[in-house]
Amino acid sequence: MSWRDRVERLLARLVAASATERLAISLAALFSSILVGTLLVLVAGRMTACSSAAFVLTHPTPFGVPRLFAVGFCYDPIAVYDRLFLGALGDPFSAGWSPRNAQMAVTLRETTVLIFTGLSVAVAFRAGVFNIGTQGQLVVGGFATALTVLAAAPAVSGFVGTLTLIPLGLLAGAVGGGFYGAIPGALKAYADANEVITTIMLNFVATGVVGYLVLNQFKDPTSAATQTRALPSYADFPAVVFDPRSNFSLIALAFGISLIVAVYYLLAHTSFGYDLRTSGLQPEAAEYGGVDAARTVVASFALSGALGGLGGALYVLMILGNYQTGVPAYGFDGITVSILAGNNPVGVGFAALLFGVLKSGTTVVDFATDVPPQLVGVLRGLIILFVAMPEFFRLLGGRMDRVQRRARRLGSTAATDGGEQADDGGDRNE
Amino acid sequence: MSDARADGSPLADRFSKRTGITVAVGVLFVLLAGARLAFPDTIAGDLFAIVTDRTTLGAALRFAVPITLAALGGIFAEKSGVINIGLEGLLIISAFTAVYATDTIAGEGAATQAELWLGLLVGVVASTLLAGLFAVVCIEFRADQIIAGLAVWLIALGLAPFASQVVYDGPNTASVTTPATVTIPVLAEIPFFGALFDASPFVYLMFIAVGLSWYVLNRTAFGRHVRAAGENPKALDTAGVSVSRVRYAAVLLSGVLSGAGGGALALSIGQFTGNGATMVNGKGFIAIVTYLFGNYNPVGAFLSALLFAGLDALQFSLQTVGTGLPSSLVRVIPFVTVILVLALVGRTQIPEAAGDHYESGED
Amino acid sequence: MADAVRLDGITKRFPGVVANDDVTLEVERGSVHALLGENGAGKTTLMNVLYGLYQPEEGRVVVDGEEQSFESPGDAIDAGVGMIHQHFMLVDTMTVAENITLGNEPRKWGWLAVDREQARREVRELSERYGFAVEPDARIETVSVGVQQRVEILKALYRGADVLILDEPTAVLTPQEVEELLAVFEELTAAGKTVIFITHKLGEAMEAADEITVLRDGKNVGSVSADDTDREALAELMVGREVLMETDARPSDPGDETLCVDGLTVEDSRGVTVVDGVSFGVRAGEVFGIAGVDGNGQSELVEAITGLREPTAGRVDFEGRDVADWSRIDHIEAGMAYIPEDRQERGLVMDFDLVENGLLGSQHASAFAAGGRIDWDRARDHAEAVVEEYDVRPPDPDARSVSLSGGNQQKFIVGREFERDPSLLVATHPTRGVDIGSTEFINDRLLDLRNAGGAVLLVSSKLDEVQMLSDRLAVMHGGELMAVVDPDDVTEEELGLLMAGEEPSRSLSSLRLAGEES
Repeated sequence: MSWRDRVERLLARLVAASATERLAISLAALFSSILVGTLLVLVAGRMTACSSAAFVLTHPTPFGVPRLFAVGFCYDPIAVYDRLFLGALGDPFSAGWSPRNAQMAVTLRETTVLIFTGLSVAVAFRAGVFNIGTQGQLVVGGFATALTVLAAAPAVSGFVGTLTLIPLGLLAGAVGGGFYGAIPGALKAYADANEVITTIMLNFVATGVVGYLVLNQFKDPTSAATQTRALPSYADFPAVVFDPRSNFSLIALAFGISLIVAVYYLLAHTSFGYDLRTSGLQPEAAEYGGVDAARTVVASFALSGALGGLGGALYVLMILGNYQTGVPAYGFDGITVSILAGNNPVGVGFAALLFGVLKSGTTVVDFATDVPPQLVGVLRGLIILFVAMPEFFRLLGGRMDRVQRRARRLGSTAATDGGEQADDGGDRNE
Repeated sequence: MSDARADGSPLADRFSKRTGITVAVGVLFVLLAGARLAFPDTIAGDLFAIVTDRTTLGAALRFAVPITLAALGGIFAEKSGVINIGLEGLLIISAFTAVYATDTIAGEGAATQAELWLGLLVGVVASTLLAGLFAVVCIEFRADQIIAGLAVWLIALGLAPFASQVVYDGPNTASVTTPATVTIPVLAEIPFFGALFDASPFVYLMFIAVGLSWYVLNRTAFGRHVRAAGENPKALDTAGVSVSRVRYAAVLLSGVLSGAGGGALALSIGQFTGNGATMVNGKGFIAIVTYLFGNYNPVGAFLSALLFAGLDALQFSLQTVGTGLPSSLVRVIPFVTVILVLALVGRTQIPEAAGDHYESGED
Repeated sequence: MADAVRLDGITKRFPGVVANDDVTLEVERGSVHALLGENGAGKTTLMNVLYGLYQPEEGRVVVDGEEQSFESPGDAIDAGVGMIHQHFMLVDTMTVAENITLGNEPRKWGWLAVDREQARREVRELSERYGFAVEPDARIETVSVGVQQRVEILKALYRGADVLILDEPTAVLTPQEVEELLAVFEELTAAGKTVIFITHKLGEAMEAADEITVLRDGKNVGSVSADDTDREALAELMVGREVLMETDARPSDPGDETLCVDGLTVEDSRGVTVVDGVSFGVRAGEVFGIAGVDGNGQSELVEAITGLREPTAGRVDFEGRDVADWSRIDHIEAGMAYIPEDRQERGLVMDFDLVENGLLGSQHASAFAAGGRIDWDRARDHAEAVVEEYDVRPPDPDARSVSLSGGNQQKFIVGREFERDPSLLVATHPTRGVDIGSTEFINDRLLDLRNAGGAVLLVSSKLDEVQMLSDRLAVMHGGELMAVVDPDDVTEEELGLLMAGEEPSRSLSSLRLAGEES
């Protein structure tokens, strides 16, 4: 058997990882992470001190069976996940629940920003490059949005202001993020600099330089916090259906969803998308097919950065109403969202919703329990780890499959040697 | 290096680029010296004074410890064919664990020096365990090494502050004893270079680790197997040496070394701070660049780590001198330098099979 | 005396394939044994079983009279079996001595350090014992392929191998290097070693082996003594039917030069000049062949012509325009088709289906993509047409490329490139690793294109094939064209000398065709 045939079979197996299997792997990764997270909460619950146990692990004692053990924990993992998921939706099973509740608004608001960062990472991944710099692109984009809107605000006002400032702010964010994203793209394409490292470094640079500019050049003199002056209220995304105080606009969410469709269309139905996907799957074949590798890398990085920058624009326009330092890790969550979605734009929508729930639920958890909110940060890493090893779940599945088959064989005397060998042959190639 | 190659080979190119950067640093130094003589009271003059000050060298050595140790770990892993981009995570986890362990072992009173070393050891164990997880995921379950490495980083980035919050009710830990400086008599009196002999024990640990790593990689059978596993794993496999075993050992070694680095980082300050990017703040990623720049040579990695650490030390000294440069901008300098170095060095001579999963019996 | 190796009823299955079906093989000690068969006949699988890389489902492995069950190559090595793979298992950045002792390093200081002095000495002694001129301190990347092969043999001998298995050892060698290898075989057998080598070349097996075993479709179809057989009998055993090697001797009727290469100089990715001032022309209605041992600059020459690599000097005139610095996409659009040497790296995106792959190179062409939007319906029609006309199986445009056999992948590429209606076709090793049926099909299509007035530049290392198809034949060595000859006039021996970079005894000018300007 030549190595080519081996490669062929390996590839065939990867291809066999069909959409259903990818979905299954994503779900399995999610549940595994939650399981590990539960263990973590329990362990942490033993390590900290509290006056009364929030959760007791024991066994039922029917018919006077004596209690053999009972272990108390300071944190209740069930309560954590209850608050995390149900809390994020505003307790859908309680009386008087309305989908327009404030916590739901937070969830959807986070979802909206994560759609953009998730798409940003996904576009880069599909082009075969790692953009770990979405965070920095979001920072630069958000800052550009704030500066542009602040500069343009005096010229307009009222409804006309909303109609002009929001598109202008979004454009500024996209351009700022796009340029900042193009830097590592150009460094990779023309100087062969590893993009994983450069994008991570550029995150630090973005935070440092923007932080300096806000503090020294554009600081709101009336505030103690490191932030710019407030944007005018007419530059805020108009709230539809939801309470304006919730800082969430359905229009922004609709914009995000329309971009999902646009990115999907771009990848599947355009020449540029074909070039991008080909580069991502097989750079040598792309080159053979006339794809300009360098230009594609720069273009996909710029597009990725622009999407990240749009995320920053929304964060500034819809949520903050100005720019302030200490931007949440939307960019890193975007990596998880994209990986969880198999870098598929449609999948990004669902993964972003899931992460919106997690992020929004974190605040509920923080409020309702003593469990540190950093738990979600751990889950983020765990999910990536589990999604990264589909082989783990395949082995797990394969093992269960084999156990079942063995059981079946034991029950039947008609088993042949051939069946045994086919199994062994399958093992090698799993 | 003994890589004598035909003229015009990219290795020669890269070598000249490395030389170019080194020469540029030298020229800058001479210019500063000139500026010092001509205009002693300008920023440039001050800069020269700072660069040649022994406390700057001392600080640079101290800052270089976590970067160098993590870089040594990265060299072993990548030479064996496993790109360990999770060094940052290993540093974070060991930094927290070392402080936590020291604090716990010491109990009520202040920790003794012995307890501090014990704490460092626990930090090393924690980092090695995480590296072991990474190794299993990459070698056993064929995960993409880059994605798994990112996961290691993000897990540690969440886990350390989480644990700190659980134990200390905040992202920062309590303070513990810092190591006593070891001064070698007479040698420590030498101007400037005396800083080499009047340093934290962690600095000496680093020197030993650099020397040992070089020896192991270049003179032992294990080192040879590591290099073969990264260049042509089939050659090693068909020679009857298990590629997985060599790669496991190398990745675990990267956990040990990074663990020592992270522990040293936190213990030399006596506290773990977990806000934002934590106190590790990109040192693991800088470590990757230092070994790329050092062409996978432990000594080269140490020297380039010293260069980056020197920038950091310079930044601290500059702030005390008060040059008027805002600190938030000065702090960005090492990161920008990393990008510039990467862009100038370009693609490095990475091991042929790095990043690829290897399955024995494939043909 | 017991046989050195006895394989008894070996059966090895892979999912969907029986690679070895009840194969029995006996190899006498101190002999050279050839394992002959076509690609995919199961030769390498059988030897991997003997070397412990695969474990057979059925059958016994007996080495030196003792039954063995090898779990890994390590076990086989311990039993005195060594294997030299087709792709050398050498670490390029290490020295000869380091490679030979890898995994068995002599130690000093209580196992702490490698004793490099002793390693060097042992390697030198071993190399002298068998008359190999190998320098222990040379880096692998600096020595020739022939030397690398000897290093591989030494590696096996260093580990105490008595039985040496060589997988297609001559594939990468010039005819003269092959002669040297055969001399090495004699040295080895004289020293009591046993040699088994895999080949698909009849002549080689006849010349080098004492005994020949022919495999077909995973079965042993006969073992014969080399003295008791002839080429025809072996060929029939190999293919399973009578073989008629027929050439399409129709003379060509060349027109104007479609492609004119002048003083072309190209560097490889390491910056080394690998094509040095090459000049030639390809006329409409002819096949211009370039023969040579792999790695003599053919790949880079072709990449420079097709726009994948920018030459450092010289001109590439295509239909009268210098295209040397045009982008790849401009080459495609100007009507230059290209069948690349590595179909799975370059020619196809393995994860794409045939509809998507049919578009490769045409993704911006107005026929398929107007205004940047791809018309997938047209792309599908196109893929269906190619599949139909070029007999791609299975005939399913939605099939992923990876699921197709090598021959069918290649037929699809050939079809896609021919459908461009090219004025020039550049084909590199178009039939490498392709089954016999597809090979005939592809070669016929090349000639069809020529007869229809197209220009064909054919690069191949298969001498018989390139000799049969070409109207004019050039030999490339060391980045230069040694000569342009008439393929019907030149002998295989003369070609071999040219491929090795030497001048044949017959004056080259008499070989040169009239009207050749160089």
